[in-house]
Formats: sequence, structure tokens, C-alpha cells
Amino acid sequence: MTRAVSPRLAGYAGLAGLGLVAGLAAGRVELVALAAPFALAAVVGWALGRPPRLEATLTVDRERALEGEQVTATLELVALDGADRVDILLELPHALRAEAPNPRAVRLHPNAPLTLELPLRCERWGAFSLGSALVRVRDRFGFHTWEMHVGQRTSLRVYPSVETLRSLLPPLETQVFIGNRVSRTRGDGIEFADVREWAPGDRLRRINWRASARRRELWVNDQHPERNTDVVLFLDTFTDVGSQGRGTLDLTVRAAASVAHRYLQHKDRVGLVSFGGFLSWLLPESGTRQLYRIVDSLLTMDVVLSYAVKGVDVLPPRSLPPKALVLALTPLLDVRSAAALLDLRARGFDLVVIEVSPVPFVEPGTGELADLSYRLWQLSRESLRARYQQAGVPVIEWREDEPFQVPFEEVAAFRRFAKRVRV
Amino acid sequence: MSALAYAGVLAYAIAREPAFAAAIAGIGGIGALLLVFVLMGSEELLPWTLACLGGAYALSLVAHGSAIDPRAPLVALGLFMCGELASWSLQERYARATPRAITAARAVAVAALALAGLVAAALVLSISAVPAGNGLAWTVLGAAAAVAILAVAVRLAQRPT
Repeated sequence: MTRAVSPRLAGYAGLAGLGLVAGLAAGRVELVALAAPFALAAVVGWALGRPPRLEATLTVDRERALEGEQVTATLELVALDGADRVDILLELPHALRAEAPNPRAVRLHPNAPLTLELPLRCERWGAFSLGSALVRVRDRFGFHTWEMHVGQRTSLRVYPSVETLRSLLPPLETQVFIGNRVSRTRGDGIEFADVREWAPGDRLRRINWRASARRRELWVNDQHPERNTDVVLFLDTFTDVGSQGRGTLDLTVRAAASVAHRYLQHKDRVGLVSFGGFLSWLLPESGTRQLYRIVDSLLTMDVVLSYAVKGVDVLPPRSLPPKALVLALTPLLDVRSAAALLDLRARGFDLVVIEVSPVPFVEPGTGELADLSYRLWQLSRESLRARYQQAGVPVIEWREDEPFQVPFEEVAAFRRFAKRVRV
Repeated sequence: MSALAYAGVLAYAIAREPAFAAAIAGIGGIGALLLVFVLMGSEELLPWTLACLGGAYALSLVAHGSAIDPRAPLVALGLFMCGELASWSLQERYARATPRAITAARAVAVAALALAGLVAAALVLSISAVPAGNGLAWTVLGAAAAVAILAVAVRLAQRPT
């Protein structure tokens, strides 16, 4: 608890003393009368200088919320001796907006608990620590002020809103586990693939009687089995371009949450690699728990400045399983991530690069030199894209105002018309 | 309101002794300047402001002669209200959404303290009108009170903040 005494209190006492001494010296009773209210106020002020006995608890009605939702923080205050004026400020992160006055002033009666509810609008995703509340207590005349932090810190996780994706990007190859994705291979499944000659071991139910009658020998149907796929979300967190909470990292996190949600709905295994100054990964898993793991990991994701040279070698091999679809979300600004992605392609991964465009967040400078450098920067980006495309990697530019379905459709179109290459 | 109280007391002091108007207004002007700084946020200048105003009034008293000013308690009230209102306005400057009940409670408290101060000042003036048999006793009592109030001021100033 920090205590502060108004300079007015000492000033009043001094004025009272001065008035009395001056009155005595000059023999004027008026000066003594002039000092009387100040002497009285000084005595009253001194008598009021007892520290308040305040107890407080801060709670939030839930620990998790979605972006745009409202949560309520409740502060319960009890002053054993009462308090004439209590100013309460709940310190909030920028992403949370109070929908009631904050700070606010209240009066506490002795031993009467007061409950204050503060609705908070979650404006942006993130993992936040709420509280404690800063409380300032003043006596009736404002001579003394006590400041303290009350209540325990509580955590609040605000999950990014998920964009609905109508269709997902099919991987080139599937894994061996049962899933919802039609495999290119042939085996037991539902989707018809082809007919072929009967071979020992084929089951009777697979015989295609119509084809067999026409060819006068046994022919059987082949099917595509339903398999799952491994998707690795490769997030480039070396740099973030943007301002006021909006930027490439924000878009990356939102897109990653949407994609992870949708793939996990399809019983696929989804992993996460955050490739940046701070390296982190989640091994591919399926299920709702994995979704929470991924989103929790995304919430704490941040850009950490680092000059260390990093490649995909630093990643554990299990974080990038063979035949996995690697979906890279990158602003294509850091050479280390650009090189790592080319390395991944060279290792035979099914790589798709979705370029989270930093261009809308960059203001071109004024003047001929600034214009020239801006154009050169864009040309260098074009050249990098061309390098990826030469290696058979689709690079799709995605901007803030576009739905995330657009790059998926563009990748599908690219794959439809491009031939698969082995680097 | 604080500035009004200040202006009222200063105007009274000048009107009481027009011969010394320039000197009184000069001292009062310095105080007014200090009051402007106080209202801009320098609360520590408040005692100096009040001291200037009190000094201006004291000059008018001394210049006027030995007659007792019966309105001295009202001047004391004006001085006190000037200080209290200035301080209140400073404390409310950064406060938002102060409930009316809290404002009303403080207004009542300040009014009560001001009234008590007025009564005390009037009492002091009344006591002085009572003929005293032993002048030395009153002098000793007054000196003791002055020393006591100074001790209180020193003790308050030494308190840790």
C-alpha cells in the first residue's frame, strides 16, 4: 500500500501557525481568526489519516472466450471501516475494451460488501492476464490517499474467430490411417477406381458381374480407400508487418486457426511449426484436444527478433512426417524462412506457400528514390515467387480483405494445370 | 469558484484600505498568479497562494488602524474555501464518472468544515472582545498555541509519504 499526503495538509498547518505568530507579533486578533479554519482543518486532516482496511477479490466469469464475445469481470470490495471515496481501475490489455466506466468511483460503507461488474468486450485474440485492480482510497477531504493493487491476476484466453472454409486443399498423398479423404491408391474403400482381372485372394463381393459376363472371365472392381492425411501448418514468425493490432502475424494466426479447425473436423492429423526467432512445434495429432493445443499455441505466438541462422534441420523429424501436406503461411520477408521452404520442397514434401501479403500494410514513401525502392522490393518478391513456382510450389498471395477460401481455390487450380515435378 | 473566493477576499482587502490599494493588489496579484499555477496542477503552491492573500489582507488590517475588523471570520471563510475548492477541482481533474452521492458527500463535508472554521474564527474574535484581567496569561496561552500548531506542521511534513 502506498500512502500520499496532500501538500495542502502541511500547508494548512503552516498557515495556521503563521497566522497565530503574526497575530501575536502584530497584536491583531483578526489574523488569529484567519488562522482558525486552517488549524481546524489540519487537526481534522491528521485525525483522518488511518489506513483503510480493504479486502478485494477479482474474478472473471470464464477463462476462455471467442473474439467479439463479452466476458464479465467481477470485483468484490469490503472495507472494514468504510471508505469515503474509492477509485477503482482495472488494468486492461489493449485487446479488451471495458463496456462500463473504468475507472469508476464508489463509496464503501463499513463491512458492507460491494460487487462491481465490468463487462469486457474481447476485441482481439490473445492470451491475457487480467488484473490486479488498482484501488485508490481517499479520505473525505482528500488529505490522504492510499493506493494499492487488489485481487489476484486471472488469465483469459480469447480465441480467434474461425472463418468457414467450404472446401479444403486435398493432399497429394494420404497416410495409412482411416480418414475421410479418398486416397489415390487402390484398396478397400467406397469410391470406385477401376476394374481389373480377378486375382487369387479377391473377395467374391468385389466381382463386377457385368464386366465379367462381357469378357467371359472374372473381373473385379477396384476402389480408392478412405485415408487421413497429415497437415503441417508452417508459420513464418520471423517478421510481422502491420500496425494497430492488424498485420501479417494476426492474419497468419487467424488463417492457421481456421485451417486447423477444418482439417481436424475431417479427421486429419494437424501439426504446427512456428518457424521464427522462437522455434516451437506441435506434433501432428487429430481430435478436439489437438485443436485446443494448436489454438493455445497460436495465442502465445509472437515475433521474436533473432539473427540466428536457422534451417529445417533444427526441427525434430517427427514434426514433419513423410507425405505430409506442408501449408506454409508466410509474408515472404525473411530469407531464412524462404530458404527453409525451398529446402522442404527439395526433401519431397507436398508444399503449398500461402503468402500473407505485407503489401497492404506498407506505405510507399514519397519521392523518386522511395518509389524506386518500393518497386524494387516488389520485383524482388516477384522473383522469389518465381523461384518457388520453378520448384513446383504453388505460391498464392492472400490479402487481408479476401476470404481464406480464395488461396485454397487458387492452389487447387494450380495443381489442376501444373505437372508434378521431382526436384 | 475558488478564483471567485480569491477575488472576493482580495476585493474586500482593497476596498477596506484604498490608500494602499497598489501594495495590496500587488501582493494579491502574485497570489492570483500562483493560483493560476495551482489550478493548472501544482497543488504544492496552494499554501503560498493563500499566504499571499492572507498577507494582502494583513496589510489592509495594519494600514487601517487598530480597530478590529468584524468581518475577519468571513475573510477566513473565503480564504479557506479558496483553498478547498482549488484542491477539490484538482483532485477531480482526472477522475471520471464520479457518482453524485460522492460529490454531494464531499460538498457537505467541506461545507461543514468551513462552517466550523467560521464559528471558530468568530469565537476567537468574540473572546478577544472579552476584557481580560491578566494580559500575560493570554499572551502565554497564545504563544503556546502557536508553538503547538507549528509542531503539528513540522510533524506532518516529516511523515513518510
